[in-house]
Amino acid sequence: MSETTTPTATPEYVFLPKDYKSDLKPIWCPGCGDFSVVQAIYRALAAIGRAPHETAFISGIGCSSRIPGYTTAYGFNSVHGRSLPIAQGIKLANPDLLVLAAGGDGDGFSIGGGHVPHLVRRNMDITYIVMDNQIYGLTKGQLSPTSPKGRMTCTSKYGSLEEPVNPLQYVLGYGANFVAQGSAADLIGMTAIIEEAIRFPGFAFVNIQSPCVTYGEESQQIKGLKAITEPLAAIGHDSSDRMKAMEIAQYYGQKFHTGVLYRNPNPPPTYESQVKERQAALSQGALPKEQILDLFIKR
Amino acid sequence: MRKDLVFGMAGSGGDGIVSAGESLLNAAAAEGYHGMMTKSFGSQIRGGESSCRVRISTEHLLNPGGDLDVAVALNWEDFLKFGAELPVSGSTVVIYEAATKVEPENIPLLGVTPLQVIAVPISEMAKATAGTERAKNTVVLGLIAGWFGIGREAVLAGFRKKLAKKGEDVLAANERAFNEGIKFAEEHPLKAPMTIALSKGAVSGKLMTDGNDMCAAAAIFAGCQFFSGYPITPSTEIMQFFGEHVWKYGGAMLQAEDEIAGIGAAIGASFAGKKAMTATSGPGLSLKTEMMGLASIAELPLVIVDVQRGGPSTGMPTKPEQSDLFAAAFSAHGDVVRPILAPTCVADTFRITVEAFNLAEEFQTPVIILSDQEISQRKETLDPIDTSQFKIVNRLRASATDLQDYNRFKITESGISPISIPGMLGGTYLASGIEHNEDGSPTASGDVHQRMNEKRIRKFEPLHNRRDLFSIEGNPTAPLALVAWGSIAGVCSEAVSIAREEGLNVKLLVPYLVYPIAEGVYREFFASVQRGLVVEQSHLGQFYRLLRMYVDLPKGVESMARSGANPFRPSEIVVVLHRLLAELQHSQAGKLQPQE
Ligand SMILES: Cc1ncc(C[n+]2csc(CCOP(=O)(O)OP(=O)(O)O)c2C)c(N)n1
Ligand code: SF4
Ligand SMILES: [Mg+2]
Repeated sequence: MSETTTPTATPEYVFLPKDYKSDLKPIWCPGCGDFSVVQAIYRALAAIGRAPHETAFISGIGCSSRIPGYTTAYGFNSVHGRSLPIAQGIKLANPDLLVLAAGGDGDGFSIGGGHVPHLVRRNMDITYIVMDNQIYGLTKGQLSPTSPKGRMTCTSKYGSLEEPVNPLQYVLGYGANFVAQGSAADLIGMTAIIEEAIRFPGFAFVNIQSPCVTYGEESQQIKGLKAITEPLAAIGHDSSDRMKAMEIAQYYGQKFHTGVLYRNPNPPPTYESQVKERQAALSQGALPKEQILDLFIKR
Repeated sequence: MRKDLVFGMAGSGGDGIVSAGESLLNAAAAEGYHGMMTKSFGSQIRGGESSCRVRISTEHLLNPGGDLDVAVALNWEDFLKFGAELPVSGSTVVIYEAATKVEPENIPLLGVTPLQVIAVPISEMAKATAGTERAKNTVVLGLIAGWFGIGREAVLAGFRKKLAKKGEDVLAANERAFNEGIKFAEEHPLKAPMTIALSKGAVSGKLMTDGNDMCAAAAIFAGCQFFSGYPITPSTEIMQFFGEHVWKYGGAMLQAEDEIAGIGAAIGASFAGKKAMTATSGPGLSLKTEMMGLASIAELPLVIVDVQRGGPSTGMPTKPEQSDLFAAAFSAHGDVVRPILAPTCVADTFRITVEAFNLAEEFQTPVIILSDQEISQRKETLDPIDTSQFKIVNRLRASATDLQDYNRFKITESGISPISIPGMLGGTYLASGIEHNEDGSPTASGDVHQRMNEKRIRKFEPLHNRRDLFSIEGNPTAPLALVAWGSIAGVCSEAVSIAREEGLNVKLLVPYLVYPIAEGVYREFFASVQRGLVVEQSHLGQFYRLLRMYVDLPKGVESMARSGANPFRPSEIVVVLHRLLAELQHSQAGKLQPQE
């Protein structure tokens, strides 16, 4: 088995974005931001060049979670909120796979919110893309954990009373080594961010503003987002500065910063690389598994 | 001379009563006896009441025994908390701490007159010989060696090993306390001697372990390379075993953030081609249900261990019960069949666990092992197991031909579709919890759903003919019958032996495959039956009710059910069998009356 952290291009064959696109026709509404997210993923995967059959793409449930089916990777469209545990099992079972996880804001920060910090702690080499539309799309427009306070939806008729989750700050706060944000309106920028995230040797989180054209607010559509966009490159942000990244992340919901907020310049070892070391160290001189019951012999 | 002795001992946490039980069991095993030990605790983490029951025999043991032959109470308050778990009868010798200041004729055991009651100044003897009350348990071991003939040499040999690090002084103090116990016993002989017969001699290669360790070891033997779960009593030792050993076999153990993540990671590992397992107890099983459905519809092999404890909710974490059967069979929504296997003792936990992996792989399905607190935490001496006897099944992998035009969920005659795993060229597909076409693409077609449900359930048909997953004891054409599963099966097996010795024509059916119900096996078994009992430790009688869903039980078959932590004794089952026989004879006598 080869080293796992950075998947590299195979010289024999140059993959093109279309090699990652499946025949399945998306069920998304015309204009949904998720269309451009999947395009960015095709392009990023092609740039990296790992074969689709060496890629595993896991999601939960939601409009956004349909995404693995639109790729030619080994896909797993699981249950609501649980993409990350499944992705971790896959990564540990076969660290050589390129493992991607994706889903909605509800999937990742409401029902599945408890799993995020633990994947961060374990630092497995998994890239997690949240398609953040501040709404529950699939179930037709209920309040989401990232909906701004006061948002009126079918389940918050008079406006929501709770503050939204701040995905960037949460994940930075959990101690993630790579945190970025992209926009469905900027395919090229988003592709670059996703590619960098996948190449990052360890857990990488990418929040993508991916508007819901059917249930989303005006302010969260492409036009509204553009008005508040501030590319991190334009403000000269140093992505190795974690405290600065935390500071910028505060403005989630008010300003829209695109680019890499934080990238640990000295990434710590991944969980799976430590597992490999442990396996190598302990397998020496172990009883063959056919004799494992000898452990119970009374002497 | 006795073939078999059952000891029940209780004290408070600091008394070391459980460690005395362990020393006794080890000593008995070293002397060639068969032994079994169960522990029971109050719910306090430290210092609460604790007890153990040690059964020692010259023969192979099936259960921890009924009434105690010997009861040891270091104080009465703690002893009484165990109630029916430590039953004293007219044939019990009761040994208790004299410092409790209770007169032998006033011991607080209502309604029984034990065979003999002896007050022993246990703590005084400990202090006088070892200089500390903490040697009380060692004095108890000396009393047992003196009165019942177990462990005279082996206990001391055990001490030498166990206390080697603590230095000569500690060892010598313990030896003095032990000898003081023996001396007391010799100076106060029992009214009716109760020494155990000589064992058939020590057998080399004998094993000693509990159900949880056995389960984990069997899983690794079966090829399991991934475990993830969340700690919960009484299943945690399975995770601990994996955490210590699985790495040696190229595998990994993940302590997940909750039970959902635990089963999720195991499903992921299975998707990626590894044999995977998760283990839990009642509350965790409740959390895992949505994911169990996912594994069923995505047709991924997976073994889930549920070590049952008293429920519902937190219930009684440290006590056994058989009340998770409905949850195991029916939780997770949708039309699903999920095989359930149940071991009946530590020894067969090996076979059942290997079988669970084989079924999971063969049928590409989650399989539940329903163990219980008693099996999982009781220690047994076991004969060596020849692992070369066991067949290991691996999932049907997609062949090169399958991969030319691959349909992961292809509807085949057997209902089993060749499976690809990530990394296989040509095998990519979408695994999903959403209903899917044969190629894995999502669908909302009623027609496809119908055909897929049919496939996913049809594939289990061969399970209905797995007669090797049942055992029948006694006369196959007997009119009297018992049915029991899990740890209660061992109690019933002993009850059947006793009843047969008493001349009853009775048989016992033990299903290791608890679900799906193999209707044919039961129909055949019940053909001769006119009176019978389904014995189980569930207030509702869940197994009895589950059987009735699928099988027309003969009218005379009753449920004998009770809540957990209230053990069955072989003797009480025999009493009921006598009653059933009398009823049967009565009704037949009625039939023989001349008709006018
Ligand atoms: C356990 C469970 N609860 C609820 C649902 C219903 N449900 C499906 S998707 C969803 C929310 C979708 O919102 P989000 O995750 O933001 O994804 P989006 O559709 O917006 O992309 C809900 C509540 C479910 N499928 N499973
Ligand atoms: S409902 Fe919203 S999120 Fe869902 S597909 Fe339509 S636009 Fe996209
Ligand atoms: Mg959403």
